[in-house]
Amino acid sequence: MYGWGGKVIYVDLTREKVVVQPLSETEAKMYLGGRGLNSYRLFKMVKPGIDPLSPENVLCLANGVLAGTALSMTSRTEISSLSPLSGILGDGNAGGDFSAILKHAGYDQIVITGRASKPKYIWIEDDTVEIRDAGDLWGLKVGEMVDTLRDIHGDDIAVAGIGPAGEHLVRFATTMIDKYHSGARGTGAVWGSKNLKAIAVRGTRGVEIADPEAFFKLAKEDEEWFKKNEFVKKIYSVIGTHYGLLAWYPGWKYFEKYLGPEELPEGIRPVDLAKYEVGRTQCFSCPVSCKDVYKLPRWNEYGVSSEFESIYALGANNAITDTEAILKMEQMADEYGMDVITLGDTLAMAKFLYEKGIITDTDTGGIPLKWGDAETQIKLIEMIAYREGFGNKLAEGYRNFAKIIGPEALKYSYDVKGLSRGWYHVDFLNGIFTLAHATSTRGADHLRGRSWAYWENDRNMDPELPLKLLEGGLPDYRKDPVGALIVSERACTLTDSIGRCKGSINSWPQAIPLVWKYPLFKGLAKLLTAATGYEFTEEKLVEIADRIYLIEMAFNVRQGIKKKHYAVPFPPEIINTPKIQAEIKRHWEMVDEYLKRRGCDVETAVPKRETLRKLGIEWVADEIENKEFPEWDGPPLWPLDKYPRGR
Amino acid sequence: MAHRYILAVDYEKCTGCHLCELACSIKYYGVVNPYLSRITIITKPEIQASTPVFCLQCNDALCARACPANAIYFDEKTGAWLIDYNKCIGCRECVYACPFGAISLTVKAEPIKCDLCGGDPECVKVCPHGAIFYGPEYEVVRKLKKGKSVGIVYEVLEKGVEVPAGNRVKEAEEAVKTLYRIWEERKKLNI
Ligand code: SF4
Ligand code: SF4
Ligand code: SF4
Ligand code: SF4
Repeated sequence: MYGWGGKVIYVDLTREKVVVQPLSETEAKMYLGGRGLNSYRLFKMVKPGIDPLSPENVLCLANGVLAGTALSMTSRTEISSLSPLSGILGDGNAGGDFSAILKHAGYDQIVITGRASKPKYIWIEDDTVEIRDAGDLWGLKVGEMVDTLRDIHGDDIAVAGIGPAGEHLVRFATTMIDKYHSGARGTGAVWGSKNLKAIAVRGTRGVEIADPEAFFKLAKEDEEWFKKNEFVKKIYSVIGTHYGLLAWYPGWKYFEKYLGPEELPEGIRPVDLAKYEVGRTQCFSCPVSCKDVYKLPRWNEYGVSSEFESIYALGANNAITDTEAILKMEQMADEYGMDVITLGDTLAMAKFLYEKGIITDTDTGGIPLKWGDAETQIKLIEMIAYREGFGNKLAEGYRNFAKIIGPEALKYSYDVKGLSRGWYHVDFLNGIFTLAHATSTRGADHLRGRSWAYWENDRNMDPELPLKLLEGGLPDYRKDPVGALIVSERACTLTDSIGRCKGSINSWPQAIPLVWKYPLFKGLAKLLTAATGYEFTEEKLVEIADRIYLIEMAFNVRQGIKKKHYAVPFPPEIINTPKIQAEIKRHWEMVDEYLKRRGCDVETAVPKRETLRKLGIEWVADEIENKEFPEWDGPPLWPLDKYPRGR
Repeated sequence: MAHRYILAVDYEKCTGCHLCELACSIKYYGVVNPYLSRITIITKPEIQASTPVFCLQCNDALCARACPANAIYFDEKTGAWLIDYNKCIGCRECVYACPFGAISLTVKAEPIKCDLCGGDPECVKVCPHGAIFYGPEYEVVRKLKKGKSVGIVYEVLEKGVEVPAGNRVKEAEEAVKTLYRIWEERKKLNI
């Protein structure tokens, strides 16, 4: 097979069995790879209603059809599972070298089931796939684990795995790739529940390209855009996503307000962070270098990639402005393997509830929770990773944490389908902002469509881009917000399925190659045709994107997602104001329109048989039609003393 | 005498993105594979500590000296040492002899080395950071004199670069200024 690696690895940890199968051509053409292939596989293999931390859960890692090719930024690994954080589809998308190297070894996907009796890791070297003992690795932090594996296998390997947080089933533990790249939605806890510590891979086979000359020409043309772009060169390559601190209104003190560029306190401005920077780095085949390498003199340690999200969630939202301490927390989250957003938002929520008196010293074990207290927060992060004391409750993660505190607390969980919204801007972007949180197939999220639905950002990248996008068929979000969102959801779905990055400049050209030249997906179709030798067209790509999205919606229907779960929360204090009520009314109108245009039943939010038939997946309808699934209320939570605790 | 054209590297600029490897392999073998590239990036992927390894086209080439079949010869036109595969017996002496590990092997264990793309290096074209460059020796040396201040940065972290690095802050300040300028400019576009 050209473009694809052509093989899928199935690992049954209970029986310690590995089976390698060819990737079916039909599956490849219908789902491309990455997120598409994972979501499809999960729908097929995960039975509805299981405990995400049980051996029945399935963990999928996939790289995407263009991963590891000469097209830049094709470095993303999609890690998917039934999420122990949200209880619905949970997938994280991480950079690093793993994706490309797995492809170079000849594989498109790894599917892991069961539970090993003892800690294990998987070693892949081209045709060799082995389950090995991980006794010595268990307990190690992520950096130590990767270094140990490099000592064993050499420095040209890539590693995916978990830190102590994953081992302790922290519900927002991440899958960590090559030390510093993390995939969220709690997949790290799934590794932990399976007794699986890591996957290490070396690949020396490379990727065969059907028409190398044509492909390379297109890939170079695509890269030229980045090399010439002033925004990329002078801003993103210099301050990376810290740029977002000025542009994306980070929440302050559990979203008490949102900080505009002029309101950023000293300590969390891009220039403050630059003081700690000693270098820049990036993922495999990326020309941008959005990541900083920083030094922490106070601890004499280093870390990588202090992104906007870490600074906002761990810093601003907790009213912490001690730059070095925030960087330290970010580095700890990487070392323990935890998602910074859920971590920061959970901590901020706890402080807020403490201030309100909804939780007290009895809950916290005598630890006072104060805004701006970096020292305590550093302690708490460690306690969460090992589920010690109050950390055990916090480790349940955001909505689940609020749920075990009680209904008073749950009112303040600003989540959709279990994931924190981060922001609840009203009136923003003609309702897309709110709608996108509701329609995302993994819970409130900004990378399923939102950022791509409007073009102020793109205008900054390239003044001609918005017009090109409109020409190419992106609806004007001011006139047709629902249409704009659906198109951008398609864009994100395709990006995740070819294995390209969506974050390094947060704009269309990075997500969809050559969009500025052949909008919207025509350039991508050309690239895919050249890479694989199969004829791809824009129409086919739209169909693929919709197929993947609808399978994801169907997956969530089986997990008990109903129409009512498309609601978006607002703080109780403001929810009854006319402004918010009007916003909510508009939101439901938009949800109805969205469901209609997605081909779902407007009353039940279930994908219609007819729609699924058109997408060539009528069999999905048999799984969801006229069936009763218990209403979603988060994942099943364990009694707190059942979790592994302590070191 | 005509100027000798040289392929050179500014180690500090290389971020280890591997794009040059991918380009080199696809150009010559139609496959994307760092192991089939004539330039190799030795890197710790998570930090900015990367060293491109490629043939330096030595004046007195040890690879050519070691070759028992006299298969490696100097091409006056491009200034590159080339392998004559009609003569090569596949003994790999050249691989061992090169002091820099610049010669790679295909899966069939044939030696492959940089031929400067016949005078039009592909890797230079794709490098997003201008870390590798090609030109007449005086120009290359001039560039290196400007760009290189610390030397090889491999394992920069172990050596411990000190903070605060004044230039980083200045660069960030510049970036913020550029951001505001672009915002202002583009707002006027009204799209
Ligand atoms: S292969 Fe090695 S020894 Fe031969 S010319 Fe190149 S750098 Fe010199
Ligand atoms: S492998 Fe070929 S080129 Fe290298 S030393 Fe042997 S004969 Fe000469
Ligand atoms: S000059 Fe050409 S042959 Fe030499 S390393 Fe660069 S791309 Fe490869
Ligand atoms: S393309 Fe340039 S920056 Fe990237 S690895 Fe090669 S030399 Fe380094």
